[in-house]
Amino acid sequence: MNDAEEDSPNKPQEPGEVGLVEPRDFVHAQPFRFESGQVLPGFTLRYETYGRLSAARDNAVLICHALSGDHHCAGIRSLKDPKPGWWNNFIGPGKAVDTNRFFVLCANVLGGCQGSSGPSSADPATGRPFGMSFPFVTIRDMVRAQKLLCDHLGVASLAAVIGGSMGGMQVLQWGIEYPEFVRRMIPMATTARENAQAIAFNEVGRQAIMQDPEWDNGGYEKGGGPRVGLAIARMMAHITYLSDESMDEKFGRRRTATGGASYTFDVQFEVESYLRHQGESFINRFDANSYLYITRALDHFDLTAAYGSLEKAFAPVKAVALCVAFTSDWLFPPAQNRAIVQALLRAGKRASYAQLDTHLGHDSFLLESEDLYALVRGFLDVPASP
Amino acid sequence: MNKLVEKRTVDMQIIGDWVEPGSRVLDLGCGRGVLLEYLQQTKAVQGLGVDMDFRKILGCVRRGVTAYQGDMEAFMRAFPDRFFDRVICSRTVQELSDPAAVILEALRVARSVTVGFVNHGYWENRLDACLRGRKPRNPVYTTEWFESRPANPVTIADFERFCAAKGVSVARRALLRGDWHTPCRFRPNLLAGYALYDLTK
Repeated sequence: MNDAEEDSPNKPQEPGEVGLVEPRDFVHAQPFRFESGQVLPGFTLRYETYGRLSAARDNAVLICHALSGDHHCAGIRSLKDPKPGWWNNFIGPGKAVDTNRFFVLCANVLGGCQGSSGPSSADPATGRPFGMSFPFVTIRDMVRAQKLLCDHLGVASLAAVIGGSMGGMQVLQWGIEYPEFVRRMIPMATTARENAQAIAFNEVGRQAIMQDPEWDNGGYEKGGGPRVGLAIARMMAHITYLSDESMDEKFGRRRTATGGASYTFDVQFEVESYLRHQGESFINRFDANSYLYITRALDHFDLTAAYGSLEKAFAPVKAVALCVAFTSDWLFPPAQNRAIVQALLRAGKRASYAQLDTHLGHDSFLLESEDLYALVRGFLDVPASP
Repeated sequence: MNKLVEKRTVDMQIIGDWVEPGSRVLDLGCGRGVLLEYLQQTKAVQGLGVDMDFRKILGCVRRGVTAYQGDMEAFMRAFPDRFFDRVICSRTVQELSDPAAVILEALRVARSVTVGFVNHGYWENRLDACLRGRKPRNPVYTTEWFESRPANPVTIADFERFCAAKGVSVARRALLRGDWHTPCRFRPNLLAGYALYDLTK
């Protein structure tokens, strides 16, 4: 449903756009047991939906966001804020994920900080943020919470689950955890388990946060916290989402306008200024403890270890899969995506693999690409049953 | 044009006759998935295609054919012995840089391997080379040399030698005349335009 459209039908709208959207909160008021064994008396997921749920309640498409993403994946929040959701080029009327056909749903993950329950939420027992007392979150916990949301919305089955990076991990977990509920999976730029390199980058980010005195063992007050550490974590992580080629194209060795004297350590290069801006804007929207929790969830995700082998992990899957990788992605490179598809195929599942020749690195899955749109549209158009 | 479509169909029909219903089929160099779509519809196979090119994979996905973008040899190495019932290599072998490695690997992952190729020993193709001194051009090979991918001019005699040398058994042959329709029983290396082999190890 597009709430804004119903509420104010006279508002001008671009054709082919989702338009104004409003987030909603799903409050699950029953105890939720995390994979770690820890229990919360309940949780909240903030979510958005676009399009309409069909009479058969089977046209829902779930979008899973990545580490720093959120539930706002399409449309705009107000006419004053023209910045659309993070996957607005991909989702909307007549777009690759067509909201005229599909009821599109996206929720901020459990453990997140954009309205869903996470370490920055108030612990009802103390009234203060949970901080480090929030239960450890896994990708599977995120998925189980999303399933409760789907049930709450009356979704009978998912026509597709789609996501890149950490979103792709959730897609795989969805297919394994709820095989009867998922008809198609589209994991992109993802992995069935992080290699040492990806864990290493996450650890550097976490150390930047935890070594900042303001972190205070996670006990900082809302609005405070390790701003320097979080900004550094983001600056470093952002580099891993790009590529040498794309950074060279975007910044090269260009100097900033202010330039700075040669023999100082002020910002001199455009790339430095860009990364500082990335860090600055991130600390205003992201919680440092959530960053710790979610990167830990990424590191712990290991389908091979969890099920004995990747083939065993995928044994229950009933969905048809389309896995998409990007040649310049060195964080979750094509080989790791191919390994997912090969294991699905060895497990006797239907899984296609396509690779897009981009130079934009890991973040390529977010970029405008007619090839990607055509591929996803084509995959969603074909009936999923064999 | 119609002649070409007809020729493609003949090829598909013979392969379709050899494929067991419901079997697991891997098509190397699957293109846009036309053959696998046909086999899925007529033989209810569990089809899987491999191709290097994104546009081909896109074509397969749009047809509802499962497809994998990548190198066929590396792909087959990811599968255990006899995982597939049949591997199909239709009009692909002539473009491989190491055809023996691909065919032998295919014989490891499948019970049967179907190979189809245009016979360059066919007299019309020989005439192109001998009299005209030119690369063969016909309804199948429509392009000039500089518009084409590298291709080995493989002949039926060459292929038979390969099978004998590598200990590959030929379970079935379909050698067709220049119309790609009439069976060719006499001097196939000279008189057959197209050859299909069903191989086992």
